[in-house]
Amino acid sequence: MSPTWKLLALLLASLVILVLSPFLGADLISFEALSVPGHPEAEVFWALRLPRSAAAFLAGSGLALGGLVFQALFRNPLATPFTLGVASGAALGASLYIWLGTSFLGSLGPLGSALLGAALSMALVYLATRSQGGLSTPVMLLAGVIVNFFFSSLVLFIQYVSSSADSLKITHWLMGSLTGLETARLADLGFIIIVGAVIIRSLATEIDLLVTGEELAASRGVDVKRIKLIIFVVASIMVGAIVSLTGPIGFVGLMVPQACRWVLGWSHRLLTVAVFFGGGAFLALADLLARVILAPAEIPIGVITALAGGPFFLLTLFSIRRQGQLL
Amino acid sequence: MTPLLEARDFSLTIDGRPILKNLSFAVPAGARLSIMGPNGAGKSTLIKCFLRLREGAKTTGEILLNGQSLRVYPRQELARLIGYAPQAGGWIPPYTIRELALLSRYPYPDRSRDQAALTRALELTGLEELANRPLANLSGGERQKAYLAAALAQETPILALDEPTSFLDPRHASELDNLLKDLNLNQKLTIITVTHDLGQPALTGGLALVLRQGTLRYFGEADRLYQDRILEEAFDHPFVYLTHPKDGRVVVLSQ
Repeated sequence: MSPTWKLLALLLASLVILVLSPFLGADLISFEALSVPGHPEAEVFWALRLPRSAAAFLAGSGLALGGLVFQALFRNPLATPFTLGVASGAALGASLYIWLGTSFLGSLGPLGSALLGAALSMALVYLATRSQGGLSTPVMLLAGVIVNFFFSSLVLFIQYVSSSADSLKITHWLMGSLTGLETARLADLGFIIIVGAVIIRSLATEIDLLVTGEELAASRGVDVKRIKLIIFVVASIMVGAIVSLTGPIGFVGLMVPQACRWVLGWSHRLLTVAVFFGGGAFLALADLLARVILAPAEIPIGVITALAGGPFFLLTLFSIRRQGQLL
Repeated sequence: MTPLLEARDFSLTIDGRPILKNLSFAVPAGARLSIMGPNGAGKSTLIKCFLRLREGAKTTGEILLNGQSLRVYPRQELARLIGYAPQAGGWIPPYTIRELALLSRYPYPDRSRDQAALTRALELTGLEELANRPLANLSGGERQKAYLAAALAQETPILALDEPTSFLDPRHASELDNLLKDLNLNQKLTIITVTHDLGQPALTGGLALVLRQGTLRYFGEADRLYQDRILEEAFDHPFVYLTHPKDGRVVVLSQ
């Protein structure tokens, strides 16, 4: 099957998941109920299920796209905005807000605090890398890992010194969740993800060239520094916005791009589209599982994605052995 | 006449360490230039400077292309003038030869010539049958040819090739030499190669440029390279010069 047909099959499967997921859950919602005005199932569908499925889809798309471009930029399957510190920055912001409340971060709210933390980590990684001259990939990865560890340690410290109630809240936030997203926030998220996705898609050829190596890309006419900066900022804003709304939902940015590469190869013209829809469908599916496995109780969605992440890493390991190289 | 490529007192420093020192030379259009020198002399750095791939480094002096500072050329325009093939070692991009060559068409927003340029590049390098093979599944020599094919797909008047024959066996190296000779003589391409083969300039003729620790030790006709102990001084090593029994060219052996 040609890559284009594979992509079409993936798009179809993703759309089926997106359309069906709000109907499925602890209680099934029938198609007929939607056409009856005031039907309680219709209320649940429009007010709860649909926004939540949309949030899952958007968050999955953004996280996966962020992973795709960072993996390509760093030519390393472990490089994602999460491993580069964005999530730990957001976690630090949210934890600080939960611990100190409005007295410290004023009217920012948990979302604004998380976004501020994500921005802080991005700025630190960027400045640390710049201080070593240029935007070298290994330096950026190292800076990301350092920021990640440092911020994660600060979160642990905050958990230790805060009250048990706050500590529990922080733990819950760190598990990631799609519950209780306001419609206005969902619209903001949709705007950020779609604009980000369009920018990334428009840079598909440049990303292909960056994968061949920065010098080769520059010799073919790519303004490497500018393109890297755009990708870095766009992906970080997308992921920062998602994490600030949902908490850190890990492994999506690692698994989805890698799986899409196995199926479709390395053309980012196809991959950007595949990862956008594949990531969305993956998280919508994970959310469905989170809702039904222990129904009526819910499992935090971050737990589901993390559980899938372990076996996936094993697969990646075997693929590295088979292909003899990292990506 | 304005030289095609000219260095004027060009120096480059990386982390306070001088890599290239006060280089001045002028390469006319249609020339065949072999850049030589011991390891660490700055050969690859120099060829990368022609492509502005060392922009983070501190430089003084100037490199001019068609009489204009390299700095004024937008990247894509530069990529339409100089085609580049890196050394084949190191990172192997996860693409097929065809994909790699098509990516070289990036500086041309008009896609209409892409297929014709690709077909020609594959024909010239004899890689038609391997076109859909991933680079990772090629031998070192084939990969080197793939990079050359990609540079040819750029359709530039200048080719800058970093050690294009170092992974090739004698037959393939000779084929590649013939191809470069044809491109230089018949298609009037200016060809700049970094080479470790000291006999290369005798074979290809044209100009030779010898570097030692970043300084210019020789720039001029290839024929004169083997006189005046130029190579001995540059490499700090004794050589024996023989005459090839068939074509009479100089053959250099390490003593």
